[in-house]
Amino acid sequence: MENDLRGNILRIEKSSIFDGSGLRTVVFFKGCPLRCRWCSTPESQSFAPQRGHDTALCAGCGLCASQCPAKMGPDDHRAADCQFCGNCVTFCPQHANIIYGREMQVSELLEIIAKDDVFYFHSDGGLTLSGGEPLCQPEFAAALLKGARELGVHTAIESSFYAPYPAVEQLLPHLDHVFCDIKHMDAAAHLSHTGVDNQLILENITAAAASPFPFTMTARLPLIPGLNDSAQNLTATARFCATLARPVQLELLPYHRLGLNTYRKLGLPDPLPGVGPPSAAEMADYRKIAANAAPGLVVR
Amino acid sequence: MTATARIERLKERLLAVRPEMDLENARLLTEGFQEAEGLPLIQRKAWAFRKQCAEKTIFIQDDELIVGCSGSKVRGGILCADTCWGVLDAELDTISTRRYDPFYLRPEDRKLFENVIRPYWKGRSGYEQWQRRIPEDTRLLRDNGVVYIDRKAVRGFGETTAGYADIIRKGVRGLMAEIEERRARIDLTVPGDLEKDDFLAAELMVCEGMILLAQRYAALAFEMAEQEKDPRRRAELEEIARVCERVPEHPAASFREALQSLYFYQTCIFMEQNAASYNPGRMDQYLFPYYDADLKAGRLTEEEAQELLDCLWIKFSEPCLFQDAVTAEFAAGYPMFQNVCVGGVDENGSDAVNELSYLILQATMDVQLYQPSLSVRYSMAANPNRFLRKIAELIRLGTGFPAFHNDDIGIRMLLNKGVPLKEAFDWNPCGCVETNLAGRMRQYTALADINLGSMIELALNNGICRKSGVRIAPEVGEATTFQDYPAFEEAVKQQIRYAVAAVVKGSHLIDDICLERVSPALSLTFPACIEKALDYSQGGAKYNCGNGIILIGVADLINSMAAVRKLVYEQKRISMAELVQALATDFAGCEHIRQLCLKAPKYGNDDETVDEIAGRMFTFLADEIESYSSKFGKMTPGILPVSGNTPFGLEVGALPSGRHAWKPLADGVSPSGGTDLEGPSAVLKSVAHIPHGRFVQGTLLNMKIEPALLADENGLRQLMALLKSMCSLGVYHVQFNVIDQAKLLRAQKDPDRYRGLLVRVAGYTAYFTELGRDVQDEIISRTTQHGISVG
Repeated sequence: MENDLRGNILRIEKSSIFDGSGLRTVVFFKGCPLRCRWCSTPESQSFAPQRGHDTALCAGCGLCASQCPAKMGPDDHRAADCQFCGNCVTFCPQHANIIYGREMQVSELLEIIAKDDVFYFHSDGGLTLSGGEPLCQPEFAAALLKGARELGVHTAIESSFYAPYPAVEQLLPHLDHVFCDIKHMDAAAHLSHTGVDNQLILENITAAAASPFPFTMTARLPLIPGLNDSAQNLTATARFCATLARPVQLELLPYHRLGLNTYRKLGLPDPLPGVGPPSAAEMADYRKIAANAAPGLVVR
Repeated sequence: MTATARIERLKERLLAVRPEMDLENARLLTEGFQEAEGLPLIQRKAWAFRKQCAEKTIFIQDDELIVGCSGSKVRGGILCADTCWGVLDAELDTISTRRYDPFYLRPEDRKLFENVIRPYWKGRSGYEQWQRRIPEDTRLLRDNGVVYIDRKAVRGFGETTAGYADIIRKGVRGLMAEIEERRARIDLTVPGDLEKDDFLAAELMVCEGMILLAQRYAALAFEMAEQEKDPRRRAELEEIARVCERVPEHPAASFREALQSLYFYQTCIFMEQNAASYNPGRMDQYLFPYYDADLKAGRLTEEEAQELLDCLWIKFSEPCLFQDAVTAEFAAGYPMFQNVCVGGVDENGSDAVNELSYLILQATMDVQLYQPSLSVRYSMAANPNRFLRKIAELIRLGTGFPAFHNDDIGIRMLLNKGVPLKEAFDWNPCGCVETNLAGRMRQYTALADINLGSMIELALNNGICRKSGVRIAPEVGEATTFQDYPAFEEAVKQQIRYAVAAVVKGSHLIDDICLERVSPALSLTFPACIEKALDYSQGGAKYNCGNGIILIGVADLINSMAAVRKLVYEQKRISMAELVQALATDFAGCEHIRQLCLKAPKYGNDDETVDEIAGRMFTFLADEIESYSSKFGKMTPGILPVSGNTPFGLEVGALPSGRHAWKPLADGVSPSGGTDLEGPSAVLKSVAHIPHGRFVQGTLLNMKIEPALLADENGLRQLMALLKSMCSLGVYHVQFNVIDQAKLLRAQKDPDRYRGLLVRVAGYTAYFTELGRDVQDEIISRTTQHGISVG
């Protein structure tokens, strides 16, 4: 049964207004093939569950270790013997511990998705798969989208499009809207900033746009000052979008550092020290450059 | 549009005034009662009212267009001497400096109180009767913080919606004609008609007083106009004089006259009794014909109408509610609760929104004061999106207004109070969120509060109050003997049954005492009072309901029951003995138990295992309260805390929800602070499990709005969608706290006060104060620009 399929899920966010129309339930997948230097959700990268610990919050009371079956202390981030029982999270009075990721069934997720039906109805909202990378778990993601559609729920995906095309093709029939990330148009820069080549991504986006399925499409470019915000890259991205076989909107997103807390919890350093979010004025400039590069392209 | 310079000046002057005791009213009442000795009570009250009108200090302030004041000064605390002189007596030394709602008491006023007021009223007030006659079980629960039931003994009636439209449309003269007509049908040989005649004669006395008072204002305005150098202000004063000569004596002939007539009557019923919650109600309905006619005739522009409304809004903020220190704790902030309502449906059940509805919303946006309490009735089927959008814009200002009411549920509540549908269409919110019907309905909407936290405590502690150590409630057996969850639940229900019964007994006593709190000025605009020739206090209104019994600590009750079921009976992670021990010591030395309690499923997260308890328990509570009747009707349940969740919390020890001892309880039907981790949709889904329509005195939900919904057009649209969703779910009311930049900055500065403040960060919900400073700063900076998330 498709509804029995299990997948690795990072978390579920309800009433989100940033990943598609209306009020949406966003299912974040766990595991991603990319390693973007600006990643705001580093806890979504690894496919395996992870433990997070915030030393700034930890009061050193030892309650977590005393309740841990493996008697692990709070700082043993990557300890191999963690059973992910969740005791350290439950018992910590400081909210210093967290477990990232758990396995969930399609049916379990559909039950959660159905809960906000009234909100989707009034807001034109729905379900968005995000991540992590949903395309890394294609059967599971397809079953989820299909199940949501059967409930009358609008479906969307937020993806890097870095996956074999058959995986993409598996999902497209069940989607009402597609967000595809274009992190850099230059192959070398893409490789150095994300760890993977952009050729497959651009090919997949091109193919998806040419596919017969009636979804609408938005390309997203997260703007990271100094990394991918050159006029050259903006122009190239806009022109690429304009060549696609169906109308695609280009959405420019300002870099943000809200993920820093998670880096700390995972014991990771600040990946981009000294880089801050672009100002509203800079964002307006970026939009102008992109719009000028491809007349007729809708840039937001 | 923004407020005019006049409005800014009026507002600034008002805010600079420090609340003071105002004893002129009590002195005139006392003298009036002395003068009228020998007359029946209703006429002594009416005579004293007439004396107030004839002799009270009156004044017209600079810039005012609408005039009148119930006291002798603005922001005065009026003492209702016949009801409760003893309240001031007990607080003579502290009233000027008490923590909640202090009133400065001038030394000369203290003398007046000690020499004139106290000697006359000693032994005659309702408050004394109440203290002396309160049933023993009720007293024990009250004194141990399980119920709060003194409210009606310390102030006048209030909690009602007078028939303002009657005064405006018919004028006092018109009402006098109706009274005379009724009086002509009196036959003094018929038993009972003597009392009726006494009442009707008293009504005429009240009418004379009101006409007299307005004439005094007209004369004063005229006199001031003659002295006025500034020609513009002179013309304004002349217009005030002209208006006061006409209303409320005659039917209003213009929008301005209608406003002045309305406000005169408002001051008159406050003069009669110091009370909270005299609600102007559906102003956009009864004032619209005047607005429309003036506009069409070219006598008035929209801007002028707006300024007049704004002026009236300032007037609504002038009075300050005087009450005893404890009651003030339960409703802090001098709250007069003058509830104005816009929107809803008309008598055909069709859209009732009109241009005046928008002007009234705009008045609150312009003035941004604490009064009037602005409510909207939103009918999803009938009202236009433009109206909802204006509401959303006002919500985003962050003033806490308007109180948003789901019209269909309000109508359902009225039906459940025994009002036929045709009239239920005309309901209006009253006070906070209670339900009312202008000029037709009598009840105390919030007679007493029951502390639901105490219900858990008494169930687990065999009827003994944790704080005092005294047994105050039934022995339900030691908690360790509860073999299963149903046994525990039954113990909670037993405590609830006992508390409800005690409150009902107290309510009957209050009803009895208040038969003597006659209110002829209020009765004047209840047509059934005139027809029956019976005072409001004695059941003259068309619909009489049993008093409201209010429940406080909803989330504490639900979360505690859910935690006990999960931890003790289902998972068996802790034994009942361990839990009871932990609660007795406020979790000292057993933090692990507290953490288990805190992390048990919580109400507000759309978790059926918890919410199912809410549905069942609140059906039980409504059943239990409705199983009693008073001489006026079926008792009526409601869920509104005002600020009572804080003082009630001080009386309750640790709870299985993980809440520490003596901390505030949750407010209204809202989740406990910091426990709703799944966002607004989950909150509304949980809250929808309470059968709102059955809590006919209203249910109150406070929700927070995240910065994202404030940022842009899309946010506004989603806020509108949230409100529609809330209506679809059958939730009755919501009011919003806005998490804006200012609040986040305060939280950063004072993290201890904002421990429970949840915000969304990159796709997850977090406690703001637990984030690193850098991330906090970034969230703050984002409250002024859009576009938060990057995948």
